[in-house]
Amino acid sequence: MTFAVVIALFLGVRYLLVPKSFGEYGHYRGLALAENADRPLHYSTSANCARCHEDIFGDKSKGHHAGLSCEGCHGPAGKHVLFSDSTHTIKLADSLILKRDSTRQFCAVCHEKNAARIKILFDTINKSVVKVVEEKKHNHLFDKETHKLLNCIECHNPHDP
Amino acid sequence: MRKPMDKSSRRTFLKSGLVLAGGVVASGLLKPFNAVVLAGDKPKGEGPWYGIGIDIEKCIGCGRCAKSCKLENNVPMEPFYFRSWVEQYTIKKDGEVTIVSPNGGIDGFKQTVPDNEIFKSFFVPKMCNHCYKSPCVQVCPVGATFVSPEGVVLVDPNYCIGCRYCVQACPYGCRFLNPEKNVADKCTFCYHRLQKGMSPACFANCPTKARIYGNLRDKSSELVSFIKNHTCMVLKPNLNTGSKLFYNALSMEVR
Repeated sequence: MTFAVVIALFLGVRYLLVPKSFGEYGHYRGLALAENADRPLHYSTSANCARCHEDIFGDKSKGHHAGLSCEGCHGPAGKHVLFSDSTHTIKLADSLILKRDSTRQFCAVCHEKNAARIKILFDTINKSVVKVVEEKKHNHLFDKETHKLLNCIECHNPHDP
Repeated sequence: MRKPMDKSSRRTFLKSGLVLAGGVVASGLLKPFNAVVLAGDKPKGEGPWYGIGIDIEKCIGCGRCAKSCKLENNVPMEPFYFRSWVEQYTIKKDGEVTIVSPNGGIDGFKQTVPDNEIFKSFFVPKMCNHCYKSPCVQVCPVGATFVSPEGVVLVDPNYCIGCRYCVQACPYGCRFLNPEKNVADKCTFCYHRLQKGMSPACFANCPTKARIYGNLRDKSSELVSFIKNHTCMVLKPNLNTGSKLFYNALSMEVR
């Protein structure tokens, strides 16, 4: 008798504690799949950038940076794309305008000379060669007003370097 | 003086030995219970089953994968929380191995070893291996981490109790405790992007296409041909984790 009561109690407590969707697909909460899939996006795709910025996209697709994703340098554009419209009737809020990093150090993230990058420089089989320079030594021209080293993008067009 | 051998104990020993051997043979015949006997065969099913290919020869260590992963998935910006990161291995001429990963490679790498001492140097991008016999899933006491039907190892943040057992269990160091929610956190293969037909952030933002992903069940997919055409290896194959992250040109120094 006591045994049956304990079993019934256990089943009752178990029913209340185990989530409804548990075990739907396996030993986990089935709803967790949908919850994981529903998280908001931050990054968009380059194809979405090309829909409005086709001129820049055209420049980029001719140069060495053709294979690069726009957001790799410009940052996540999910909200920028979401609130933009191609007719330009709504001005985007400042917080939605993407801020580029135009410092020398940012270009050096890929193009700084490094022993691990040299093999890529001499790779003649694949034509996708990454040019490397020494950021500290390359082009020591100072800006006349700020007296800082010139940024890379003053000479090189980042979309078609 | 040696005790003479007890006849009955030898009989029990032989008997139990025979039962054990018979049991092993019988369990081999029971196909449906193979999942219990030989844990972790490749799951059968329809639909995509994702894997990853990383070409170490193409990686330039720019850290865009680590950066975009952090921004896409709201990973804390502190330099010790990573779902995806890059390490630089430098092997000196005397055989000494130096491994550096300043801020996961997000701010770029500064060479620490002088050129004339280097034998070879390369970048190794690291992320969750999405194993199909994953130790982290096996140890979860509540079923809060699991392998999705697509072969993606996910965490259920609403069900996780934050016991950190999985963080200990992962041999690749791919898990951490999220300091805000106090639950286990890891790479989700950007499951939210994948389900919308978009590439995960680290794959989309890799400038040299050093990392690719694809359906391992589709024999014509980009990943399957990548594995076929290169000499690929998984990390720590001795652990038999069923890793689905295949590296091309992986040196044995990589841990």
